[in-house]
Amino acid sequence: MTHPILELARSRTVLFDGAMGTELMARGLAPGAPPELWNAERPDAVREVHAAYFEAGADIVSTNTFGGTPVRLAAHGLEARAFELNRAAARLAREAAPPGRFVAASLGPTGKFLKPQGPATEDELSAAYAEQARALADGGVDLFLIETQYDLREALAAIQGIGSVSRLPVFVTMTFNVFPRGYFTLLGDSAARAAAELEKAGAAAVGANCTLTSEQMVGCIAALRSATTLPLVAQANAGQPAVGPDGKVGYAQPVEAYVRSVPDLIAAGAGFVGGCCGTTPDHVRAMARAIRRKEAS
Amino acid sequence: MTKDEIYSKMSEAIVAGDREAARGLAEEAVRSGLDLLEVVDRGYVPGIQKVGELWEQGEYFLPELITSAEAMKAAMGVLEPELKKRNAGSRAGGRVVIGTIEGDIHDIGKNLVASMLQAGGFEVHDLGADVKLERYIETAEEVGADMICLSALLTTTMMNQRRFIGLLRERGLRDKYKVLVGGAPANRAWAEEIGADGFAENAVAAVKLARSLAGRP
Repeated sequence: MTHPILELARSRTVLFDGAMGTELMARGLAPGAPPELWNAERPDAVREVHAAYFEAGADIVSTNTFGGTPVRLAAHGLEARAFELNRAAARLAREAAPPGRFVAASLGPTGKFLKPQGPATEDELSAAYAEQARALADGGVDLFLIETQYDLREALAAIQGIGSVSRLPVFVTMTFNVFPRGYFTLLGDSAARAAAELEKAGAAAVGANCTLTSEQMVGCIAALRSATTLPLVAQANAGQPAVGPDGKVGYAQPVEAYVRSVPDLIAAGAGFVGGCCGTTPDHVRAMARAIRRKEAS
Repeated sequence: MTKDEIYSKMSEAIVAGDREAARGLAEEAVRSGLDLLEVVDRGYVPGIQKVGELWEQGEYFLPELITSAEAMKAAMGVLEPELKKRNAGSRAGGRVVIGTIEGDIHDIGKNLVASMLQAGGFEVHDLGADVKLERYIETAEEVGADMICLSALLTTTMMNQRRFIGLLRERGLRDKYKVLVGGAPANRAWAEEIGADGFAENAVAAVKLARSLAGRP
């Protein structure tokens, strides 16, 4: 039987949420502190961010676990708390979710390169993702979202690890840069190759997130579409960071500019849209309107 | 083989990321008494520059860049001690202290910049990630650095780049060091805003910038 989230995507464009880290910082998270810690220490704040995104119209929110693999948490000395922090995150999102809405487990990169570029092996990374996924499944997520991957081999290891502990659908979004020859990850995987390999490995949906603006992402989604029939996910950044009048750096693209490309993303093949760095509940609210308009037309 | 042929083989070894060939050719150059400064400048450096161009064009990606940087380091590992013996140090670029700034654990970009700077002939002191502001200064003073490179991946931790420059000023050390900033959200406007000496978009651009600040071609 197909998963309800994939059923929904067949009937209309499905809306993801926006950024988490910056929303937590707005509620007092110290810069550089691991956001995952707040799943235990400030559960109210995390739940509030999820609730704000649902209220803005998101169909799916992503758990506050982007840096939640034990490998990543180890950079903060928190690896021993991986299970606890991930399970708590899943529960918080679940608690915030109105009936009929969904919780995606966010799994970001480990930050370690695989051999020969780095010290890690595929087995180690698979095991790290498996450990995180076990806790997230235990906390009640509906699907997994492996995000911001810059190395196809790591993404494949993640799929493998998650598959060893859960049968829930796995979405994978990679982060691509734009070059004259097309869209490539940091490690040089083309969008088309990534889509094909991820589909072969059993991903339920693939896509792109981070780095690109929504306008730049339109071409990337088209490139992914050329290589797979899977549902596609598009979660762009709110423009490029710029120095603001207060002397701080931020993503200052106006909401309207971000949302202007949403109909193009959908036309290029995206069945799931949402936001990455710099996006807020306002972006999600505006996207929800844009999607409704597009569907009415 | 003419000298030009040898030099182009050296360059090719770097472009191909062929560590063994790069090292072998360097050993051969030492044995046959070639002018080693010329070997570096006309043999190996053009190779790593070509790699930089291929990266900027999107023909090479991180794996190729790393393999080529490793090949370069293998060759320099042979040539450096010989140059030192002959009192003709090629590290005219000088010493660099580099690290990901306090509060930030993202080190992929910083590692790449460190590696490319080293391949580009700089003496690199890599302090890792989440480096306390004080520690950059202590190390720079200790090793006699010329340049300090600050990396940050988050818009929030970038603020520490600004704080660092303030700290240098307080200590009366601002003019002693060139300060370079980088990281995904950094840009030229930010570098100007905080009074840094330069900004580079990527590892290849960082080497170019460092070379130009060091007064090298």
